[in-house]
Amino acid sequence: MHLSLEELLAVRDGVAGAAAAGHAAACAECAAEVKRLAAVRAALAALPEERPSNDVWPAVVARAAGECERRVWRRAGWIAAGLAAMFTIAIGVRGALETYAEAKLARQTETLVAESQRLEKALRSSERRERVMSGRTAGTVVQLEDRIATIDAQLARAGNDRYPSQERIGLWQERVRLLDALVSVEKSGTTYLGL
Amino acid sequence: MSVVTPPSFVVAVDELTVARARAGDEAALEALFRRFETPVYSLARRLTRSPHDAEDVLQETFLEVVRSIRRFRGDGSLAGWIRKVAASKALMKLRQQGARGREEELFDDLAGHTSGDGPGGSPAPGTAAERVDLETALAQIPATARAVIWLHDVEGYSHDEIAAMAGRTASFSKSQLARAHARLRELLAPGVREGTCT
Ligand SMILES: [Zn+2]
Repeated sequence: MHLSLEELLAVRDGVAGAAAAGHAAACAECAAEVKRLAAVRAALAALPEERPSNDVWPAVVARAAGECERRVWRRAGWIAAGLAAMFTIAIGVRGALETYAEAKLARQTETLVAESQRLEKALRSSERRERVMSGRTAGTVVQLEDRIATIDAQLARAGNDRYPSQERIGLWQERVRLLDALVSVEKSGTTYLGL
Repeated sequence: MSVVTPPSFVVAVDELTVARARAGDEAALEALFRRFETPVYSLARRLTRSPHDAEDVLQETFLEVVRSIRRFRGDGSLAGWIRKVAASKALMKLRQQGARGREEELFDDLAGHTSGDGPGGSPAPGTAAERVDLETALAQIPATARAVIWLHDVEGYSHDEIAAMAGRTASFSKSQLARAHARLRELLAPGVREGTCT
């Protein structure tokens, strides 16, 4: 008596009882059928993938945004946004500045913005490489990015003022410090930061 | 039995993208979507057969991913998690199809189809023409048997896992797998080939 299809499949999958496995080992017909079932499995797995003809992502975004009671969406890729460029408008008004103190603040801001842009550029170029990163390091990176995003929000508020201020310089200093930390984390994979 | 992630779900996702996605970063979530849309859609398409339903499954799957990725704690099994969400959503869609009567004989027991137990089947498909035959045959087997053969033989789920996802028993899953293979053998048998495959 040959094996049933269910038994043959169990043999193929290595989960058959001793009796069924023993029969398959001794019976050429059943052994051939086990082999055929394995080939069917391989042929199924080798079927080509299918691609959706419509882009479903916008619908996912719309539905997620519609139902979120909490903050689901973080800012869309702070690096892509090129945020530093937004704030350079504050610079270049130096000609209009009257006092020495104001001119000095403007110069300081300009230096910090330039440094910020340099660091962002370094990050953008490392962003293109696929890096192997531990989950902890990735978590640190995201934390830093969140803190930079908070600074950017504060800068955007402070940015309405045409003139450089001490407050804004403080924010730019913090931004450069965080970017610097981000660069070193991405380079070295450090997770501890005394920030 | 070794449960292997099938090639379609072998997707490299860097930790940073996952961490950003977990923080709700839209760009990172979209990057995940782009990496997984084809395997998720393919799985859904095999189970539901309808492009429209498969797109629904894709949408439901990623809505779930967006909602729940914060709570996802697995290490390196993101693909496994997304695949499981996709499989569950696809099975749910099948049940809806069944309730709407779109899928014939969903849980029936066409005894005649499983009568061909034992050895003596046709050779397994190998050439391109045979591949088309296999796809056609697969689409013709009853929904539940098709879902089980796909989830078990291609996606690598065990009968226990399939039973848990489908709300059935492991022995139900086993009999559906046998039924699917019996149907495939019948559908592929006539005129597949004789002798060598040249
Ligand atoms: Zn035998």
